[in-house]
Amino acid sequence: MAARIRSRPLLVAVVAVVILMLTLLAGVGLGTVPISPAETIGVILHRTLGLDLGITWSPAVETIVWDLRVPRVLTSMVIGAGLAVAGVVFQGLLRNPLADPYVLGTASGAALGAAVAVVLPIQVAFLAFTLLHGFAFAGALFAAWLVFRLGGGGGPGGLTRLLLTGYAIASVLTAFLTLAMYVSGSELRQIFSFLLGGLAAASWSRLAFAGPLIIVTCLLVFRRARALDGMLLGDAAAHHLGIDVRRERRALLALGSMATAAGVAISGLIGFVGLVVPHVVRLIVGPRASLVVPISVLAGAWLLSAADLVARMLGDIPVGVVMALLGAPFFVILLGRSRVRYEL
Amino acid sequence: MSSRARRLPAVPTLLVILFAVLLAACSGSGTTSIPPDATGSTVPATTASPTPEATPEPTAAPAFPVSLTDDEGTVVEIATEPQRIVSLSPANTEILFALGAGGRVVATDNSSDFPAEAVDLPDVIAFEGFTVVVDVEQIVALEADLVVAAGLGFTPPDAVAQLRDLGIPVLVVYAPTVDAVYADIELIGAAVGAAETALTLTDAMRTEIDAINAAVVAAGIPPRVFYEIGYDGTTGAIYAPADASFVAEMVTLAGGEAITTGDPNSYEIPLEILISADPEVILLGVNPFYMPTIEEVAARPGWAVMTAVAAGAIIPVEDVVITRPGPRLAQGLRNLAAGIWPDVTLPPAP
Repeated sequence: MAARIRSRPLLVAVVAVVILMLTLLAGVGLGTVPISPAETIGVILHRTLGLDLGITWSPAVETIVWDLRVPRVLTSMVIGAGLAVAGVVFQGLLRNPLADPYVLGTASGAALGAAVAVVLPIQVAFLAFTLLHGFAFAGALFAAWLVFRLGGGGGPGGLTRLLLTGYAIASVLTAFLTLAMYVSGSELRQIFSFLLGGLAAASWSRLAFAGPLIIVTCLLVFRRARALDGMLLGDAAAHHLGIDVRRERRALLALGSMATAAGVAISGLIGFVGLVVPHVVRLIVGPRASLVVPISVLAGAWLLSAADLVARMLGDIPVGVVMALLGAPFFVILLGRSRVRYEL
Repeated sequence: MSSRARRLPAVPTLLVILFAVLLAACSGSGTTSIPPDATGSTVPATTASPTPEATPEPTAAPAFPVSLTDDEGTVVEIATEPQRIVSLSPANTEILFALGAGGRVVATDNSSDFPAEAVDLPDVIAFEGFTVVVDVEQIVALEADLVVAAGLGFTPPDAVAQLRDLGIPVLVVYAPTVDAVYADIELIGAAVGAAETALTLTDAMRTEIDAINAAVVAAGIPPRVFYEIGYDGTTGAIYAPADASFVAEMVTLAGGEAITTGDPNSYEIPLEILISADPEVILLGVNPFYMPTIEEVAARPGWAVMTAVAAGAIIPVEDVVITRPGPRLAQGLRNLAAGIWPDVTLPPAP
């Protein structure tokens, strides 16, 4: 059966899109405040297409559905997709099955940026973004850039050096983060909730920033699918296939870091998606990047939005907890049942 | 190049189209950026120093619409008298009920325990140990027209910003000093249309607190007082008032020389510092989370050398009224003063 699924990637894609749409509806329709499906659909149709089906609802319901739930579900999808694609990129680039979007220090950089923003006695708001979002975004990108520069600039060979530099920089940044948490006093709560990660801060204006950024990044990664495939075979083989290893590596690292940074700035540190989704997708459709990237977009979007829905219904527990509890056993089962021995 | 490269990728294109439709639709939703309600403050607001004073409206002018500056420096506009008020901290709940606005409060937090009517109101913010969860959906569903939030990050700033973006006025209050408590009561009074009641309340509080203070100041040299906020048996951590903190000020007002941690940001005092400070009176702040007994305090290793322990001057006091910056502060001061100066006759309660 695995072979049959593998030979029908379009079927997998269609099924994934359908499940995604259903999750979108469920995510928008369910929440701590009970709203009937008719009202939900009425509000959505009214706001998107201007249709009026004769259903009435109170302004509060419209606010909840359109200003709170829809942006939150869409943001979770976008960030889930971004993190999954970043995971594909880093796993392919580093040829390491344990690579996730945060492997090159982006997590520590973002967390340190957020902590600094919280501790600084300055309150700045630009459109919908506070200092925290800006610093987290900048911190993530700065960390990635630093690791890239110090780790050899992505030249041929030197993957180990890149990985280890990532670990070293992450340790240094984490040390500073710990210091910042130590002096934060009563602000510790805010830093802590950033570290846990969550989608409560989603809004249309933040989505307008992160959404296009992540989508464009995913498209650009997809265009480089052939390079990703090639690099899996090793630098020499990729070079012989006509791939400019140095340039592609730099571009892909930048794209992966950008998607991660955009996600982290809004949702804090959400793990699991970036690491596990690419593997699950590869187990289902095979290793070709031109398939893995788009299906990972769908799968990542679905996983994070479904986990966020469950987390919300259970009283807003951290979304990372839900994902790990639901996803990890499934992943283990999938690994056990794969007929072909799974190697990256 | 192969024909496969030319073909438009089906799935990503689908996603992009779907997304473009939704984004185009949302461009008319009009909730981008911060509405004129609450100006995103570019005013530097430090968190460790005293608050800017609030400016309540004079009672003779019409009460609404009113424009108030909350304790974070944000200008909050309230158009009409709020009828559905949400309180996000126990102190704010007490203040609202004391001002007579209790009937208009529709939701509180999960630790609001006074007065009794507040306990049954729905909770929209839950303080679960370290994490704070705000149910913004519920606040919107309740059609709240005023939210009184707590400062210093107790109400997550993201939630405050989200509520303001949705057009709900949010007043952020926090009181690091006793004077700031009066200011907050008057601020909330102006916000709910009870400015006169607020002035009456603060006048009464001021009078009583000043009277108690006068009585204990006249009683003699302030003894060294250690107010124990908490104690962790496993780590041996002792929680004491920080320098220039609210509790330290209350102890000073109650005629004691407050032993503090030596750091305005730290609430933990090492045992050696405490022993060398040698308190003459130990007050145990008793609340639902911390209920030590006098015997177990006296039995702690190294504590027997303190004057207070030797003299048996370990007194439990009700922590809530002392540390909660609300309308029952005078009662809290009375408890403190009675503990520090048990033989002094305090002026009778009004």
